Parts: sequence; C-alpha cells; structure tokens
Amino acid sequence: MESQTVKKFRWFWPWQDEVEEDWLREMSQQGLHLASVGVFGIYSFAGGQPQDYVYRLDYINPAKDKPAYLRLFQDAGWEYVGEMSGWQYFRKLAQNGELPVIYSDAESKAEKYRRLLVFQAIIFLMLLVLMPKAETSSLGVFLEIVQVIYLVLIAIYLFLLTNTWRRISQLTKR
Amino acid sequence: MIMQEPADVRKYLPLTEATYYIMLALLEPRHGYAVMQEVEKTSQGTVSVGAGTLYGAFSALEKSGLIRKVSEEDRRKYYLLTSKGREVLAAQIKRFEIMAQSGRGVALQQ
Repeated sequence: MESQTVKKFRWFWPWQDEVEEDWLREMSQQGLHLASVGVFGIYSFAGGQPQDYVYRLDYINPAKDKPAYLRLFQDAGWEYVGEMSGWQYFRKLAQNGELPVIYSDAESKAEKYRRLLVFQAIIFLMLLVLMPKAETSSLGVFLEIVQVIYLVLIAIYLFLLTNTWRRISQLTKR
Repeated sequence: MIMQEPADVRKYLPLTEATYYIMLALLEPRHGYAVMQEVEKTSQGTVSVGAGTLYGAFSALEKSGLIRKVSEEDRRKYYLLTSKGREVLAAQIKRFEIMAQSGRGVALQQ
C-alpha cells in the first residue's frame, strides 16, 4: 500500500510547545506520523497504522556536538524526527500508558526556555540597534515604512520575551 | 559546630536531586545512557533523568569543571568527575548527613 504524505500548517507560539507535542501525538493516534518539519510551522506527515507516539520538543543548538547529542537521545530510546529553527523533534512509543519525558525536573525544563529567551533577547537587541534613524538613513521616503516594520517586529519580540519569561517563572516558582 | 565549606565549593550547593545522582554515577567513567541507568539504580527508582535533563547537566557540569570528558567512542562521550567535582559531591553528602541527622529525632516524636 502506498503511504500518503499529508502537509499541514499550524502555528504555535514557542511557549506552547507542550500543546504542539499533544497535537502531534493526536495526529499519530489517527495514523498520521510526523515525517519532517519545515520552516514556519509546516509539518509533513506520513500515513500509516495508528500508533501512540509521544512527541517531545527540545530547544537547543548543539552545533558541532549534534552527533553526540542525538546519540544520547537515541540510546535513551528516542527517535529523531527533525529540526525547525532550533527546535529538535523527538518521539517514542508510549509504554503501558507511561508518557516518557526528556526533561525530568522543572529546573532543567526552565533551562530550555532560558536558552530560547537568550535567543529572543539577541534578536530584540539587534532590532533596537539596527533600526534606521532619520539622521543617518539613506532610505529617503521609505524610511518611515522601514521604521514601522521595525517597530512591529520590536513589539512582536517584546510579546515573545514577556511570554517566554512568564513560562520560566511558572516553572521556577514552586 | 559550624560547617566550613570553601566558597568555590559552596557556590555549587545545593545540587539538584538529578545532578547529585549524575555526579555520583560519574565516580566511574560513563556515557549518557549508562548514567541514566545508574541513576535509576542508585536512587532505587526514585529519580529518573530525562535525556534533555542529562545533556544539559553534562554541559553545565563540564563548563564549571566538575566533570570532564575522558573519551569518545561511537559518538558516545564518557565523562568522569574531576577533583573539584569530588569536593563538591563530598560537601553535598556532608549536607545530606546533617539534614538526615537533624530530622531523625523530629520524625520519631510525631
């Protein structure tokens, strides 16, 4: 039987990764297994038998250490599905109704979001620094348009930073 | 009696439960999955360390010089506790002893 590929678009905010994990599990339970992740929330699913795959998302950039990073996860029984802008997708079959995790305590889980916060903060600062100023700009009539775009991006990143920070404090104050 | 802990040991304390068992497992050279199994065993099943938690702990402990990589085989990194790591672990064990001692009498009276 030829297995079909289904592409789906779905948007998640970065602090909603657990909602995304649940959604991916529901898809697998319906027989649609995540095959690869593309950019901007485009997911490819391969059709097959329904399975109770539990998906877990890590946020990390292991860079040169990626082979050792993946090896550790594979040894622990995780299947690597792919990466989307720093998010690493893993899955494992649920056994006896037990849902496997990759972060076993709140402190290390908070650390995952701290890495995300650092990345967002860098982008945010870059936006602030690189925003074109009237005195130095050669953009002419386009200056205001570009400035508006920058202001919108700055507002988005403020929103991202606030919510990621909120997620971290949820995990650390207990 | 006042406990004397050097400042460069004290700053790592207290260790999280997971970090404590990970360091304990690294008294011998072990790679990631072997550490996970050892933690499960020595903690008598009370603590299991997730792969993400362990990878993060390895990075943090290596960065602060409490563990070091001793070899790499088949993309598996083997780590071992450094002498600084041993000092921190010993200080943590001492703290646990004080905690257990101070709690013992209280628990009996209840």
